[in-house]
Amino acid sequence: MNQINLKELERKAFLSTYQDGLWDMCIGLIVICMSFFLYRPATGYSPLNIVLVLACMALACALFLAGKKFITLPRMGQVKFGEKRTRRRKTMAIVLGVVVLFQAALLVIQFVGWRNPEFGAMLNEFFQERDAMDLAVATLGSLFVGPSMILVAYFMDLTRGYFIAVMIALTVFLMIYLNQPIYAIIIGILIAVPGVVLFLRFLQKYPLHREETKRE
Amino acid sequence: MSKEVGKEDLSSLAEIDRFVHEPARLAVMSLLYVVESADFTFVMNQTGLTWGNLSAHISKLEKAGYLEVEKTFRGKRPNTTLKLTSQGRRVFRDYANRMKQVFQDFDG
Repeated sequence: MNQINLKELERKAFLSTYQDGLWDMCIGLIVICMSFFLYRPATGYSPLNIVLVLACMALACALFLAGKKFITLPRMGQVKFGEKRTRRRKTMAIVLGVVVLFQAALLVIQFVGWRNPEFGAMLNEFFQERDAMDLAVATLGSLFVGPSMILVAYFMDLTRGYFIAVMIALTVFLMIYLNQPIYAIIIGILIAVPGVVLFLRFLQKYPLHREETKRE
Repeated sequence: MSKEVGKEDLSSLAEIDRFVHEPARLAVMSLLYVVESADFTFVMNQTGLTWGNLSAHISKLEKAGYLEVEKTFRGKRPNTTLKLTSQGRRVFRDYANRMKQVFQDFDG
């Protein structure tokens, strides 16, 4: 008889809820949405960007929720995890809250600093070249997003979450620095493709048991 | 002397709960021990048991007082939620500890 490792059994059951690939597809679509949000057209930033982002994100979330409700749950079933996972989720919320507060504080300090004549002059001198300014903002932007997403992957216990975190940080960097939506679209597709593969495998692995469900 | 020690060690085997020891029930109880609750479909997929087999074992576990079965409807579909009772959890813990003792010095 194989050894029963209860911790591993719980982890396997937990990870199985991510094997439908819906999360990856949703994140991929959200990254594609980011291209509308972060793209700065030469004609100026249009409110249409915001409308497109909101519409695209709403679509991604709606597809995710509908997929979970109508495809995943009837095939895979539903599970409620124990105290350990609830604690982990709460810790994640607290840690992310602290990270966001820290980032907000950094932004405020930066904003206040820029308004300070001496400090502002120093920054303007440092970022005289447009390229240096873009590079600094792009690096800062990716540093804001990347570590937070890595924390999410860690708390979700999801190995491919680290790949997604790096990809999202790269998207933010490339979008700010190069200002070309194509990078976000390509990275979004790179994130979503494994999700599509997982989804197809999921459909094969978990067929619908209509008759059995009725008798249940 | 050594025979007596051997006899003493083997006697603990007799104390193993045969009801829990059955592989299918052990799989169901192990899974339900590590989660708070799960529905019938989830347990069936995770354990690899057939619908009929799982249904039979669930009835036995429920009758023994180890399992709480709640039948509800999700929309128009029936949904069966399974949860180990506190007695079921205690029995499973005792079983796991007993098995640990039995194979304590076993190094393969």
